[in-house]
Amino acid sequence: MNPEIVPIHRKETIQQDGMLFVRSEGILKTMIKAPLIIAGLIFVSLVIPIQTSFSSSRTLNLVIYSDGSVHVSNQIDIDPLLPDYELELFGSSIDNFVAVGDTGFLLSDEIIENKATIDTFGSSSIKIDYDIHDLVSKDGRVWTFSINSTSDYTVLMPANTVIVGMSILPNSMELVNDQTIFDLKNGTSEINYIYGTTINPTTPNDSSFDYITTVIIGATVIAGALSALFIIKRKQSKSIPSIIQTELIPEKQIKIKSFDTESIFVLRPEMREDDKEIIRFISKNGGQAFESELRKKFLQPRTTMWRAVKRLERLGVIEIDKKDMQNLVKLKKVMEEEE
Amino acid sequence: MKKITSFVLLVLVSSMVLSGITNTVQAQNDPSILLKIAKQAQEQLQNQINQNSSDTIKLLFKNGTQQVIALENSLENNKTDLAKEHFLSAMKIFKQVSQQLTYQTSKPESLSNKTTIQDPSSDLLRIQDYSNNLKAIAKKYNTLIDFSELDALFITAKNQVTDNQFDEAQQTITKIKQMIVDLNKNIREQSSPHQQSRAKEYAQTYIEQLDRLIENAKNQKLSEDIIKRLETARENLSLATDPHEIIKQIREIISIKTQFDLTKNDRLESRVIQVEKTLLNLSNSGQLNQTDIEDAKITLQTIKRLLSQGEVDMANELLRSLATLLD
Repeated sequence: MNPEIVPIHRKETIQQDGMLFVRSEGILKTMIKAPLIIAGLIFVSLVIPIQTSFSSSRTLNLVIYSDGSVHVSNQIDIDPLLPDYELELFGSSIDNFVAVGDTGFLLSDEIIENKATIDTFGSSSIKIDYDIHDLVSKDGRVWTFSINSTSDYTVLMPANTVIVGMSILPNSMELVNDQTIFDLKNGTSEINYIYGTTINPTTPNDSSFDYITTVIIGATVIAGALSALFIIKRKQSKSIPSIIQTELIPEKQIKIKSFDTESIFVLRPEMREDDKEIIRFISKNGGQAFESELRKKFLQPRTTMWRAVKRLERLGVIEIDKKDMQNLVKLKKVMEEEE
Repeated sequence: MKKITSFVLLVLVSSMVLSGITNTVQAQNDPSILLKIAKQAQEQLQNQINQNSSDTIKLLFKNGTQQVIALENSLENNKTDLAKEHFLSAMKIFKQVSQQLTYQTSKPESLSNKTTIQDPSSDLLRIQDYSNNLKAIAKKYNTLIDFSELDALFITAKNQVTDNQFDEAQQTITKIKQMIVDLNKNIREQSSPHQQSRAKEYAQTYIEQLDRLIENAKNQKLSEDIIKRLETARENLSLATDPHEIIKQIREIISIKTQFDLTKNDRLESRVIQVEKTLLNLSNSGQLNQTDIEDAKITLQTIKRLLSQGEVDMANELLRSLATLLD
């Protein structure tokens, strides 16, 4: 397209044959362009550090809790000229979101799906904290943490876990109070871990500590039991209702044993009304229903229903199985057995 | 001329490449960590494999162990790249072994899982962190919110968890959550006036930047229409008091700037604001003497003047020197 470019290429090709073609036109253009190119490069090299200082994660720290939820703490440098900042979260199942500006003041936010819009009003850096339930899944005993991060980050693993699978190479690893901290590079990564059920090799110091701890706990238990006996003896004559109450508890537990929805609601008073409707439907449906059925029944979009199901799973009321590539939502039998 | 050009280009490109390499070196893995992780996984799985384990599991584990041995050998021979490959292979195999073992021993494990699910410790830790965040914010706003009841509930919940009274702990946690919802609402209500004043301050800073842009546009003899639109937008922004209205007006200005290609100075303007903030922090903390602060303020004014005159390169140079000085 540009006829001026062609001779330069042609000249390079000929140079390989050991011949030098000099064209006054080419030299002139090169001489005029060279300072421009240099100036451009100098400008780019000067501006690059400024550009990269905006909208980039300064620190990203993740803490995995023993139930598979993850706390995300993210410090981000942002453009102080912009009135708000849109941040892509690591998922849509978000709790306890807090954003503060560079002066430590609360920033208002709006979260839609996995996007948070934060009114930054001139802050040049913001700190964001939230809990997320989308990053860890569980298959049998194996827990899998997976993430796709655009910046480097650290992950604090839950206590007493052993890494049994890893798809990335960690930059560093540190052990703090039985918890492993990994420093990882950006990109997609997966860490598989299990809770250490078998005993890890213990040092003599550990066993002596256990012995002392056992003695202390034993002494406390004995002291507690003695004081309880003393109190019971003192109260026995006048407080018969307390005995009745202790007998009432097992009755209540028996009620929970029965698989009716009302017992579940008593056990989980914090459950939302719309979630209760879902539980009632699953119960009538023989204790299980596909997530797609729930969507049809309650005319809810996929993400809304998925969130509701996740909420119920967190409450320990249901469990999710995979059947024919679909999510089968089942009322938990464990609730019967627990009480 | 050509030699000089090539030399300068070489220096520039090399400096860019070298700066890239520095990052890579910082992110270099410590290979001994890999062996530690792989061996931990190996030991853990070895303890779980018994005579009843299937041949597939045993074979997989054997392959994994071989990869760990190969990893150790590679590290001894300083073959880091090879070591990394063996690590990833070993961990991939160990993951498969763990999954297979899970299916083999599903019955007894489900009991331990149940305990994990029922124990509300994680939930408690999460809300404790959240509550600490809210406390810090409340302190920043000097609110008179009383957290003693919340603290007492946290202690109760912790004790209940320690005593394995998980149902009771769950009920206490529900109370805590409700209380936190109310506290959050309270804090947001109390922070609302602060937010409004911050929004106004921000609008004021933006107006100053816009003034420089308008002056620059006039100097460059841009069309009357563009200048008029910018001036109208400036007027609207100066009248806005509600944070949402301020955001709306600034979005309008950004749209005008984008439409007429007037955003080229925005990066520098943002950097000026950042440097101004750093200067303010430093002068408040007493880390700089008064003369230096005054000098820096004069330099900042010069930078702003240069920006309004369209002297971008000179403003950039001065800004960089000032930022380096303050850093």
